[in-house]
Amino acid sequence: MNKSHSFTFITRSAPYGSNRPNLCLDTALAASVFEQQVNYIFMEDGVYQLLKNQDAGSINSKTLGNILETLNLYGVENIYICADAMEERNLSADDLVISAKLISNDEFKTILLDSNTVFNL
Amino acid sequence: MKFSIVVYAAPYSSEAASTAYNFVRTLLDEGHEIYRLFFFSDGVHNANSLVATPQDETNLQHGWDKLIRNHELDSVVCVTSAIKRGIVNQQEADRHGLVAASITDSSEISGLGQLIDAALNSDRVVNFG
Amino acid sequence: MNILHTVSQSPKSRLLESCLNIVSDGDAILFIEDGVYYCKREDLLEQVTNTVKCFGLKEDLIARGLQIKGESTVENASYRKFVELCVNYDKVISWF
Repeated sequence: MNKSHSFTFITRSAPYGSNRPNLCLDTALAASVFEQQVNYIFMEDGVYQLLKNQDAGSINSKTLGNILETLNLYGVENIYICADAMEERNLSADDLVISAKLISNDEFKTILLDSNTVFNL
Repeated sequence: MKFSIVVYAAPYSSEAASTAYNFVRTLLDEGHEIYRLFFFSDGVHNANSLVATPQDETNLQHGWDKLIRNHELDSVVCVTSAIKRGIVNQQEADRHGLVAASITDSSEISGLGQLIDAALNSDRVVNFG
Repeated sequence: MNILHTVSQSPKSRLLESCLNIVSDGDAILFIEDGVYYCKREDLLEQVTNTVKCFGLKEDLIARGLQIKGESTVENASYRKFVELCVNYDKVISWF
């Protein structure tokens, strides 16, 4: 088994409207259990998953923001946010539950280039 | 080359599951190896045996079942996706007090670790959703 | 180390535009399912640089009554070609 496999997860959907953010997260957590390199990239509407003050109890769901706040504790160390996505949505770092590296599309491309497997949800 | 395939979509509601099926058939025809099929999210419905379709329509679940058997493919449905969608084997049916098992015998129920293992052991992972 | 991108929704999804943000020179794009409607939208395909090859899945085109004409920037691809592309590119990213 190749121990230096690099996984990249692109999460580009808003929370709650579909299960895609959860599928992406669950798969990334499974990859981190295998002690592989895991990159987690919030793109487009995916950045909405990181908004502060979410309380999904109101729609009988688990609050995704709270779970993502602890992402690094589960071995997902390389967390990135697309700078374009933040700008297009008028969001700033203060609006989010975590601080993560903002990346340009060129940096994004480099990460993809160095990845072995990419999940895009 | 060694491939693993991930299917996120249920049959009939969208074309994706059917595309995945055609792709897998072509892969095998071309002499490639399938390390694993992984049915995730609504994709678990592809492994439902309790289905009947009108005679003039394709029964995709039967198609998968036949393909998996004929080529002795490793086929896994994600446990967390499957149980809440009623795709269960006898053991899970008994455990949860459900009236019947529903999964095709050719697929087994397992965790997401099987998807990561598939990625680690395949040359390519192709997703259909 | 190039990537094959599959795009499987119609142009209203703007999936091609999303995908193009992170497509590199030498990558390829294969339109499948409702994504094949992109094959008839030369106005949108203009955004794709000529270092990126575009393909449309033949079976999906035929099903929808679409044909790729000679002067198009998109090439027909059968399922066999789909498989071949997966082999020839280093990884596959699916846009759905």
